[in-house]
Amino acid sequence: MRLGVLYSGGKDSTLALMKAKEHHDVVCLISIISENKESYMFHTPNIDVTELQAQAMGLALVRVTTKGEKEAELKDLKKAIKDAIKRHKIEGIVTGAVRSTYQASRIQKICQELKLWVFNPLWLKDQVELLTEIRASGIKAIIGGVFAEALDESFLGKDISTVIPQLVKIAGEHHINPAGEGGEIETTTLDAPVFKKKIVIEEFEKRFEKNSGTFIIKKARLAEK
Amino acid sequence: MILVISTCKDDLSIFEFVGPLQKLANGCSFKHYNELTSRDLNSADKIIISGTALADFDYLEGDWEWLKTFDKPVLGICAGMQVIAKTFGLKLAKNVIIGPQPVETVKDNPLCEGMFNAYFLHTYTAGKPFEILAKTNGKSCMIKHPEKQIYGVSFHPEVMNENIIKNFVKL
Repeated sequence: MRLGVLYSGGKDSTLALMKAKEHHDVVCLISIISENKESYMFHTPNIDVTELQAQAMGLALVRVTTKGEKEAELKDLKKAIKDAIKRHKIEGIVTGAVRSTYQASRIQKICQELKLWVFNPLWLKDQVELLTEIRASGIKAIIGGVFAEALDESFLGKDISTVIPQLVKIAGEHHINPAGEGGEIETTTLDAPVFKKKIVIEEFEKRFEKNSGTFIIKKARLAEK
Repeated sequence: MILVISTCKDDLSIFEFVGPLQKLANGCSFKHYNELTSRDLNSADKIIISGTALADFDYLEGDWEWLKTFDKPVLGICAGMQVIAKTFGLKLAKNVIIGPQPVETVKDNPLCEGMFNAYFLHTYTAGKPFEILAKTNGKSCMIKHPEKQIYGVSFHPEVMNENIIKNFVKL
């Protein structure tokens, strides 16, 4: 089956892609760039890096920008998926959804209308189990954003696989999700076994205020592995 | 021993529809419906029949006749409920529901009680002559064989109602 991956550039969509590749032909990435920082569906720091990630994997990229207004952004998602059907003949969509019924049900509705298969290979996976699997998979994903009071500036830019014990400890003490399912953590994948080249960051900027922060990649390039 | 029967045509769907059930049923084994043997059925104390992707309907063509003579508890989830309905001659009515919806228990039963929200991802529903145990928006969403402990739910309890699976395991 020819599949498109809804790709935010983070650890979860990368792991979902790797699982899908074991069974099917992944032919493109689909990324939605939201201008709304409060978007429930799409907003994530460093979404621009998906262009380099697509190149690193040798995959086509379908990108659509949305203003991120609540239900209007779903029309933009549908437009992107229709574009992927037309350009890349996809028969199904893969997502990195883990627990969000809000996101998952909206994607299911769109794909049902478009007669596409949907695969959520990380669905209902335990948060610690997910982090352990990310580490074992060889994905190198840095923390590009922290959005919880218990997570300080020191986590920004770290490879998430190297701080799992700290995240699990903090999550237990403060009742947050250690893998960031509730939006506490956003990640950006720089390398993975499916990457033919790795991403090297040349310039970045850390911003931290009022208990949240971002690690913004300002300039990056592909390098041989 | 609890056996989970996969209705998934595509192996990539197993992570989503079978894995979470195995975990809730204490790490039990699973078999695809096409690979099921009489030995599997004889050694199972209870059976859970999984759901599958919305685009998948192959399971309706499978051989589910064993359900008619199986005397131990069975729980069919979504696609699993459809195969139970089909096997026992219930009429399947098209009723697409995707996303969380309120559910009301309408008959006392050992699996659920009261009002709760459940995650739906289904295209068909079924009702009488099975007993209707719960409804969503006035339509049947949980059924039981009139005599046997064969249950069907059109929602996915593994997503928002783990207690239903746990109660089934305890039957």
